[in-house]
Amino acid sequence: MNNGFRWGRAFSIARKEIRHVMRDPFTLAWSLGLPLILVVFFGYAIDFNVRDVQLNIADGDKSRASRELLQQFSSSQYFRLKQVNPGQNVRRDLDQERSKGVLVIEPGFGRAVGEGVPASIQLLLDGADNSTVGIILSYVTGIQQATQEKLFGSSRSLPIKLKSRFLFNQEQSSQWFVVPGLVVIVVGLLSVLLTSLTVAREWETGSMELLLSTPVKPLEIILGKLTPYLVLVLIGVGMVYVIARAQFAIPFRGSHTLFIVGIILFLAQCLAQGLLISVMTRQQQSAMMLAFITGLLPTLLLSGFIFPVESMPVFFQYFTYSLAPRWFMVVSRGLFLKGAGIFELAEPMIMLLVLTIITIVIALKYFKKDLEP
Amino acid sequence: MNATIKGFIKKEFIHVLRDKRMWVLLFISPIIQLTLFGYAISNEVHNIRLAVQFAPGDVIAQKLTQRCLASGWFIPAKSGGDPYLLVQSGRAEAVLVAPPGGVTKSLRSGQGEIQVLLDATNMIRARSIEQYIQAIVLEVLLEEFPRQTMQPFLNVDIRVLYNPAMKTAYFLVPGVMVVLLCLLTIIMTSMSIVREREMGTFETLVTAPIHNWEILFGKTLPFVILALAQVTLILIAAVLIFGLPMQGPLWKFYLAALMFICTTVAVGTMISTISRTQQQAMMGSFLFMFPGILLSGMMFPLENMPKVIIGISYLNPLRYFLTLLRNILLKGGDNWVFWTNLSVMAILAVIAIAFSFYRFRQTLD
Repeated sequence: MNNGFRWGRAFSIARKEIRHVMRDPFTLAWSLGLPLILVVFFGYAIDFNVRDVQLNIADGDKSRASRELLQQFSSSQYFRLKQVNPGQNVRRDLDQERSKGVLVIEPGFGRAVGEGVPASIQLLLDGADNSTVGIILSYVTGIQQATQEKLFGSSRSLPIKLKSRFLFNQEQSSQWFVVPGLVVIVVGLLSVLLTSLTVAREWETGSMELLLSTPVKPLEIILGKLTPYLVLVLIGVGMVYVIARAQFAIPFRGSHTLFIVGIILFLAQCLAQGLLISVMTRQQQSAMMLAFITGLLPTLLLSGFIFPVESMPVFFQYFTYSLAPRWFMVVSRGLFLKGAGIFELAEPMIMLLVLTIITIVIALKYFKKDLEP
Repeated sequence: MNATIKGFIKKEFIHVLRDKRMWVLLFISPIIQLTLFGYAISNEVHNIRLAVQFAPGDVIAQKLTQRCLASGWFIPAKSGGDPYLLVQSGRAEAVLVAPPGGVTKSLRSGQGEIQVLLDATNMIRARSIEQYIQAIVLEVLLEEFPRQTMQPFLNVDIRVLYNPAMKTAYFLVPGVMVVLLCLLTIIMTSMSIVREREMGTFETLVTAPIHNWEILFGKTLPFVILALAQVTLILIAAVLIFGLPMQGPLWKFYLAALMFICTTVAVGTMISTISRTQQQAMMGSFLFMFPGILLSGMMFPLENMPKVIIGISYLNPLRYFLTLLRNILLKGGDNWVFWTNLSVMAILAVIAIAFSFYRFRQTLD
């Protein structure tokens, strides 16, 4: 008998697995439909540039100055204003989720402006929804400055100009920020879950024992089983890429070769992680849970996709060093938007490589140990 | 309660709890998750890597840099070289570039501008950084030109209610609850029902002298109980670890949770009736959960979305539950909000339960 590795046998396993997949409309729908849902959702539905935030106005002053102030708020397009009676409990609409904030103008505001002494207004914001509050806060400074110039004359113009350049995403578009990150999400999401479940299922139903008792080598089984999923995930990534470029006109400024190398490294890491999970649990339900907790959630939340790694406490920043999606996120954004080259991306690429090798080694070790009686 | 169902429920509990790994996943992982995400995730902008480029004798530029670093938002990045490349390689997120001749000189002449290069790949962050820098530059320049401070100005007193410190944990706790509950009630329920079918033990059940509704009830009730236990655990952890102010009454919280759990367990059952394997059940659950989570307003404000998507979100039970949780936990549970959202959720629950029972009976015959 030949003890070496044979591609033919791996290929046969792969063919069997492809049949499995093709017969199952769910897997196909999932691995191709989920990327589509994600891209459409993140591309069209999410906009971090808030418009038309419901803002209540409790104007107790009703002077020319207060009208001028409100004019500034409404012309900014960020807010939809609603006048309320200043006497009533101003917090009630916030309690009832009817409004995101209240602007309180006390009587005497107009007089202060007229006399040229510092005037003040109060803005109450609904802190139960951080995501909106953060964005609103970032708008207030601009409105405040514009109003100030209007009310007091443009006396505070600076003796030197400050000119900001928003590099790599001049229009400050949400899509440019989010969609390149989706490549990471799609790979991280599909690959870990699919592989861990597929292999765990073979253990659970006992067919793994059957496969192992045949002359097919363990490595051939693994490669054969994982390759079809690898292809499916790559198709998913391809879809995201095409939609990003064609539909959202997001530039790809870096090298495609580097992109493909990065994807393959990251994908290999994810598949190895899925394999490891399946060997450890051998049962589909726990495999799914573990894949969710070690794969999906970190990919979504700790990779810097929406929440920047830099904002995390120091300990967690170091912790994310051990997460492959975090590094691939840097690579993907760098290639899409920044046009970074191999030198700029050396650090994330090396980290990705190291993590991939470590995961594969551990997974194979576990798998082999598991086979011994 | 009759003996058959009791026995059935007992069997189901033994099934789930026999597996030690399930214990860890059911009860320990929520705590880890809550802690991890409560501490780690934040929308606040700090640790900004700042590089500067100015001539050595430029006093004001130096003062600017020091002021930036002293503010606590910035950390120094290695300066030097092409500022564009610094940003491109990710070594710096913001670079201050003095005008030719230096800031000090151009202040005297009134010409020239300070350039700020920002890494806008994350535009939310870039925008905040710009504002920080603007404020600091303004402050330093006003010190240099004191007569400007004599001018009156408009003061906006901003108060963030319900969560004055803008703690991300407060904001995320309801989200973590929703996700973990979905995981347990939708995915686990559907997978466990399908598992019986996959293993062939379902046939045994059907041939046993039990009613259909008893099977359904016995299979789903344990998950309702486990889910309630899990919510309690998360709530206690949130209060103890993060000091979440539990503003509203507990009965409102539990009533909302129970209504939500019934809906999602029914959804899980429904998914189990259309899938043949556990893997399919898992995928089906995800196809429900993903849009559900994204369209709940948990991370992304719903108000901004296109009208069609907002319309769809009205069918989403997660949306109502999240609104309820935030309102009850942080705002004390306004009656109007509570009853309207709860009744919508009740309608959704009844529809989901009726439909899942109908489908379940069909698959049995």
